[in-house]
Amino acid sequence: MFLTRSEYDRGVNTFSPEGRLFQVEYAIEAIKLGSTTVGIRTPEGVVLAVEKRVQSPLLESSSIEKIMEIDSHLGCAMSGLTADARTMIDHARVTAQNHAFTYDERIKVESATQAVCDLALRFGESVHDEDAMMSRPFGVALLIAGVDELGPQLYHTDPSGTFMRYDAKAIGSGSEAAQSELQDKWHKRMTLSEAQKLTLRVLKQVMEEKLDQHNVQLAQVTPQKGFEILDEVKLQEIIEDM
Amino acid sequence: MPSASPFNGPGFDFTNQVRNAFILEKGIPLPKATSTGTTIVGCLFNGGVILGADTRATEGPIVADKNCEKIHYITESIRCCGAGTAADTEFTTASISSNMELHALSTGRQPRVVTAMTMLKQYLFRYQGHVGAALVLGGVDSTGSHLFTVAPHGSTDKLPYVTMGSGSLAAMAVFESYWKADMEREEAIALVTAAISAGIFNDLGSGSNVDVCVITAAHTEMLRNYSKPNERVEKERAYRFRPGTTAWKSEEIRKLVVSEQVTPIGGDAMDTD
Amino acid sequence: MPDMAALAHPQQRQFNPYSENGGTILAIAGADFSVIAGDTRQSEGYSIQTRYAPKVFRLTDRAVLAVNGFAADGNMFVKKVKQRLEWYRHAHAKDMPLRAIARLIQTMLYARRFFPYYVYNILGGIEEDGTGAVYSFDPVGSYEREACRAAGAASSLVQPFLDNQIYFKNQRPAAGTSHPAHLPLPTVLSIVIDSFTSATERHIEVGDGLEMYVVLAKGRTLQGLEGIRGMQELTATEDGERVFIVRRDLKRD
Repeated sequence: MFLTRSEYDRGVNTFSPEGRLFQVEYAIEAIKLGSTTVGIRTPEGVVLAVEKRVQSPLLESSSIEKIMEIDSHLGCAMSGLTADARTMIDHARVTAQNHAFTYDERIKVESATQAVCDLALRFGESVHDEDAMMSRPFGVALLIAGVDELGPQLYHTDPSGTFMRYDAKAIGSGSEAAQSELQDKWHKRMTLSEAQKLTLRVLKQVMEEKLDQHNVQLAQVTPQKGFEILDEVKLQEIIEDM
Repeated sequence: MPSASPFNGPGFDFTNQVRNAFILEKGIPLPKATSTGTTIVGCLFNGGVILGADTRATEGPIVADKNCEKIHYITESIRCCGAGTAADTEFTTASISSNMELHALSTGRQPRVVTAMTMLKQYLFRYQGHVGAALVLGGVDSTGSHLFTVAPHGSTDKLPYVTMGSGSLAAMAVFESYWKADMEREEAIALVTAAISAGIFNDLGSGSNVDVCVITAAHTEMLRNYSKPNERVEKERAYRFRPGTTAWKSEEIRKLVVSEQVTPIGGDAMDTD
Repeated sequence: MPDMAALAHPQQRQFNPYSENGGTILAIAGADFSVIAGDTRQSEGYSIQTRYAPKVFRLTDRAVLAVNGFAADGNMFVKKVKQRLEWYRHAHAKDMPLRAIARLIQTMLYARRFFPYYVYNILGGIEEDGTGAVYSFDPVGSYEREACRAAGAASSLVQPFLDNQIYFKNQRPAAGTSHPAHLPLPTVLSIVIDSFTSATERHIEVGDGLEMYVVLAKGRTLQGLEGIRGMQELTATEDGERVFIVRRDLKRD
């Protein structure tokens, strides 16, 4: 009666005899079902782009929110169970505000990322006889973009709480194809405008629908203007320029 | 002798007492008196008595006078160190000094140390401690060398070595370690200096220099600033200001030399031959 | 047998957890340096508890904190600030910048709004932009960046002197000239020494020893510091800001 993965995938805190946490691995799998999200770091700033899957013509595409602000110098794009990202982004926002309040300076991109990842393995944790706050791992991956004293940076986090810094990174359903395209096209002296176009070009390749200003979202973080989500007018200009 | 005023009785004037109590109740504290938060000592030796004092006067934590005199004159061969409220020690010793002089004149003898001591304690007792004078009284008279302390409430002690003031413990520590009976003059001066120095360096209420007074039957020697272990150091910078540094709102120059033209009228000029 | 008459009335007893331990601190900011100083006497009432109790502490290579008031609170406060600096270093992989330390001190002081640390803090050092800076605090965390500040027992004696000598208050410049915005380091050190020798003369709680910390901005030469008596370098890291201490004796009476 034992399946391949037997009983070891039931408890969220139970290692398999091979030393794996299946629930975490399944959570990582969940991201591969999510919409494609791309981030590119350049010396001029970081660009984030997401595909918005407009499943119905009656859906208001502007209500799909997959890029969010953490602080004026920090932005975040997500893929996977986006509802889970709210908890993480809320935590990042509180951490960033607390840092600004306590130290009168902007939190570093890495510190904000670390704070988010500290949450990732809190599932199944409980104090005394209280109920655990979270019952399962987060089913979402984030691309955290920001600018601090070390310059523009891009971080990737996954449900295991691991985070890594990237020059360019793609997550979600089309990530494999997108990532190899990024590896081909990314270069050290890329301008922000080039990065904007590259993100869209990469998305275009992996998207089933025809890419337009309604079904993608683009945001950037620059040293000058901080985090901003580009509006549809600006988006259209870039698409036309592609 | 000055005639008694019909308005002011003799002694202290208490007319503002009720008013001041009212002001105090309203939360305005009385002005702070200069205190000689002090080290004073006395010590008998072979042939007389030595008094010692530091020279710091304070107003709270501020040094009001870096080189004041705390060894007061009573008579030629009786001196008195004062600790406590500066005004009280100065006024009390001056008043007793006057009375001792009058006493000497009316009796025709050199007055004794016990006399001064008795006058001081009776005066202080009358004011129930409100006259804040803590004294070390020493001198030589026809009956020998004597050394007393007089506390603000009027109690007295007669001992071979005594200390008073905020530095009394520091000074007494020196006496208790090194004092012995029948010391020679130089040895006793050194001990008194060491006792005062202990107060100067270990008690914040005491400081600056050491005053010493050596009283023997034959002679009284006031050794003012016998030791100066706390000379002021030289400043790093000169603080001189360019003339015109202080701004002014208006200027008016008045001529203080007045010249007057005098014109003689009528008659010839005086004949000065 | 207990005094029954006294027990008939309600009695109140009080424990006062605070004490005041004298001493004075001051700090002056230059264009590319900062000087933070304090005497080393610790007293209570008319007694000297110790002639050497430091009130000035090196926090990082660019920040020095002077603490004055209730010594027990001061020492504990410095200990906690240092702990927070270490945590910050571990969390953020860098030394905390001066203005961040200033804000941290505010939050730490204000956290004790209703049971304050009985201390006045003066923080000196070099800002991220390389300028010399001084931050002064009240016991519950109100703070301000300034060019100079004195605090502690003799602050009422020293601050007016600094106002006159550093800010040139009540001094009119000669026609066609203006007062300098920043003074050179040797002048500042002289003013600090004179402040303390003068405070020692007229304040009974000031004396025994003087410790002056000098923080130099990155790349600034020693200029005017070389060969100063009693100087010692405390810098812990390479090619950054440099920290020095200058020790002097003060009168002991």
